[in-house]
Order: sequence, then structure tokens, then C-alpha cells
Amino acid sequence: MIWPAFKLSLLVTFVATCVVVLLGTAFAFILAKRKFRGRELLDAIVTLPLVLPPTVTGYYLIVLLGRRGLIGSYVYERTGWSVTFTWWAAVIAAAVMALPLMVKSARAAIESVNPQYEIASYTLGKSELETFFRITLPLASRGIFAGVVLSFARALGEFGATLMLAGNIPGKTQTMPLAIYEAVVAGEDRQAQILALVLTAVSVTAIYLTNKLTGGRTQGM
Amino acid sequence: MLRVSIRKQIGTSRKQLGAERQTRNGNNERESRQAFRLDVEFTAASGVTILFGHSGSGKTTCLRAVAGIVTPDEGRISLDERLYFDSVSGVNLPIQQRRVGLVFQDYVLFPHLTAEQNVAYGIRAGENSGGLSKAAKRERARELLALLGIEYAARQYPRELSGGESQRVALARALASDPAIVLLDEPLSAVDAKTRARLLVEIRATQQRTGIPFLYVTHNVAEVVEIGDHVIVLDEGRVIRQGSPRAVRLVQGE
Repeated sequence: MIWPAFKLSLLVTFVATCVVVLLGTAFAFILAKRKFRGRELLDAIVTLPLVLPPTVTGYYLIVLLGRRGLIGSYVYERTGWSVTFTWWAAVIAAAVMALPLMVKSARAAIESVNPQYEIASYTLGKSELETFFRITLPLASRGIFAGVVLSFARALGEFGATLMLAGNIPGKTQTMPLAIYEAVVAGEDRQAQILALVLTAVSVTAIYLTNKLTGGRTQGM
Repeated sequence: MLRVSIRKQIGTSRKQLGAERQTRNGNNERESRQAFRLDVEFTAASGVTILFGHSGSGKTTCLRAVAGIVTPDEGRISLDERLYFDSVSGVNLPIQQRRVGLVFQDYVLFPHLTAEQNVAYGIRAGENSGGLSKAAKRERARELLALLGIEYAARQYPRELSGGESQRVALARALASDPAIVLLDEPLSAVDAKTRARLLVEIRATQQRTGIPFLYVTHNVAEVVEIGDHVIVLDEGRVIRQGSPRAVRLVQGE
């Protein structure tokens, strides 16, 4: 029970973090650099999972992606496949829960870059996108990496939304937090202990890394 | 020939670039008390043209309007045959297409790039140069650093450079983009007096060697006399005098 859950957790967390980094940075760029109506609304929607109970987020995900959900029913009718109770569901749940942390960190990091660097880049004929990748992103890299670490830790610890959307199927969708829950319920204290320690170690490392990366700010930020 | 004829209501900070962004965050109360109306008309031919005036006279806003960083309320800006801005026909060329080399007061070198990389970054991979190779860009960057006499600093990062060295790199970077005009915004105000004198001579020499017109903003009389071919004196958003530096009566700014 420990080993499959550990393996699955790592896989789910890794994939979810990759998705979050790409999506989160894109959202952060849009929110930091584009002025459009509904910008703060978009920010609020992306941030919502941070404040909602995870089960509520999970419920909304079912409403969207479940077999009879808004998007899920469409997919199910055409392919006979549903994402619920697959490990992809665990990835989606973890990604949605971790996304706000990434967007918040990356947006703050991008906005803290002195806009004069971007103006200097524009006068050198560089487009907004090229400037973002070659100037803004490198100068914001500490804050963005801190967001990556936090997202990773959040995805690893995801429980509520995962349970709602992916269920708790050992060897298939049972990640470490779910395995801990089951071990405790079944009275298998030893297993719960080991899993809890592993998760704690990872989280402490994440906090340490984040502090270290955001602590020594350079002039560029 | 640069032709500028613009009007703009100034209610925001003139000191910082990206002022629009900052005022949005609500610190424009103090600045709006310094609000004034910019209404200027001037031309700048070859050589070094100085925009002279005390802090708050609108000279930096003029420079930024030429660069495309600030947009005038109305008027017209053109350089030779190219129209940069025209409120009547609705033309407003983006910064990227204006081909202006901008030299900032505080250098604004990219801190994560070496001196050479800073200059190489500025080299335009234009239509005709069709994406210069990395080696060719490096070569060109070295040439420009050599032109400013700081080839030795090529591999150093901005934090390792002195003020004078930084400003030389910044000028080399501005030249790298093959500009039609170079705009200098109080380029010597952050360096010490000794460096200032040497840099003045070098800026002057660089202008003469490249033949690119320089538009130079300052409030320092000594700089005007030393480097200017033509001086435009601004006060409270208006041109009050212009002519050769020796003929025009200058009042020390600040």
C-alpha cells in the first residue's frame, strides 16, 4: 500500500506541477501585463481553490468533468471515456488546487521587475513576448521558482478534491494523503506514520527552499 | 531632422518610467499637484541637440514622447521621412518600430547579462540582416564596446561595472540597435565629476564618428556648453529660448 501510493503520488504531482508551471506562468503574464475588463475576475476565479474547501472545488470539478458534467458528458458521449476515477483525475484535482499558488507567486514576481528593463528592451526593437521570455522571466526567476516549489508541495498533499474527482482506488488513484487516511481508518498506525513522515519531510524541504529562494532578493527584482 | 510639435497635460510622475503603472496604484496625489501643460515645438537636426531645463520643465517627457513611451494628447512627431506620431491621422508607431537608441540616467543594463550580452541583445535581427549568427553578433558587440573603449569589460556583469563603465555599455547597446536617433536622458547625472568630464568627450566623439543625431536631456549648464550644437531651453512645458549654446542665456537648473 505504501509503495504504489508513493509512486502514484510522485507521478501525479510531477505531471500536475508541469501543467501548473505552464498554465500558471501564462496566467501570471496575462494578469500582470494585460489590461482588460474582467482581469480581476479572472484572478479571482483562478485563486478561488485557495480559499474554497477542497471538497467544494472537487464538487465543481465533478459538475464540470463528471460523466454527466458540463464538459464531461460531451466527452463521454463521443468517446465513451470519462476522466473520473482515473489517475488523470488526480492530476487535474492536484493542478487546480496548486494553480493559485503558482499564479500568485509568478504574478508578484513579474510585477516586481522594474518596468524600465522592459522599456529598454522595447527600444531595442524586441516584441513584448520576446522581452517577457528574455528579460522579465529571467529577472523574475526566483519568485517563479518559489511558486513552482509551493505548487509541488500543494499538489503532493492534495486530498479533498482528489477524493471527490478521482476516488480512492488503491494502485489506481490512491495517492499518499488518501493512503494515510485509509491506514488511519483501518488502524494501521505504522503505515500511516511512515507516509506522514515522508510527506512532512517533503513539505519542510519545500518551505526551506522557498524561503531560501525568495530571501536573498537581488537588484533586478 | 526630428520635428516635434506636441501638447500633453502632465498630471503624473515625470521622474520614473512606467509612471502610468505607478499612479494606478494610487500615489498620484503628490504628483498631480505638479501638473502642468506641455506645449512644445522644436526641431533637432544633425549633431547634438540639448533639451535644457530645470526639473519639471517637461524635457524628459519630450524625450519619452519621441521614444514612444508616453503618448502626447495631440500633435505630431516625425524623424526625416518617418512619421512617429500624428494625432490627426491617428498614427502612433510602437516603440519597437521607432529605431530610437535610449540611454537612461541610471543605465538600466540587464543585470542577468554580461556587458557583451547586453550589447548583443540590442543588435537588430532585421529583415535584411536576416537573423545574424551568434558569432557575428558577438563580433559586432565587441566592436561597439571597443568604440566606447570598454572591450575589457565584455565578460563582466553590470553589478561589477562602475557608473562610467555602465553608461558606456548602455551607449554601446543603444548604438547596437542601429538607431535613427539616440536619446540620452541625463546620462551623466549618476556618475562622479571626473568620469563625467571624460564621458562627455566620449559621447561627443561617438556622435561625430557615427553621425547619428543625438537628443540630449540635461539640467547642467556645463554639459550644454561642452557637448551641444544646438540648445532648446524649456520652462514649465514651453520652449522659451533656443539657439547655439554660447548665444543662449542659460539658467542653471535646480
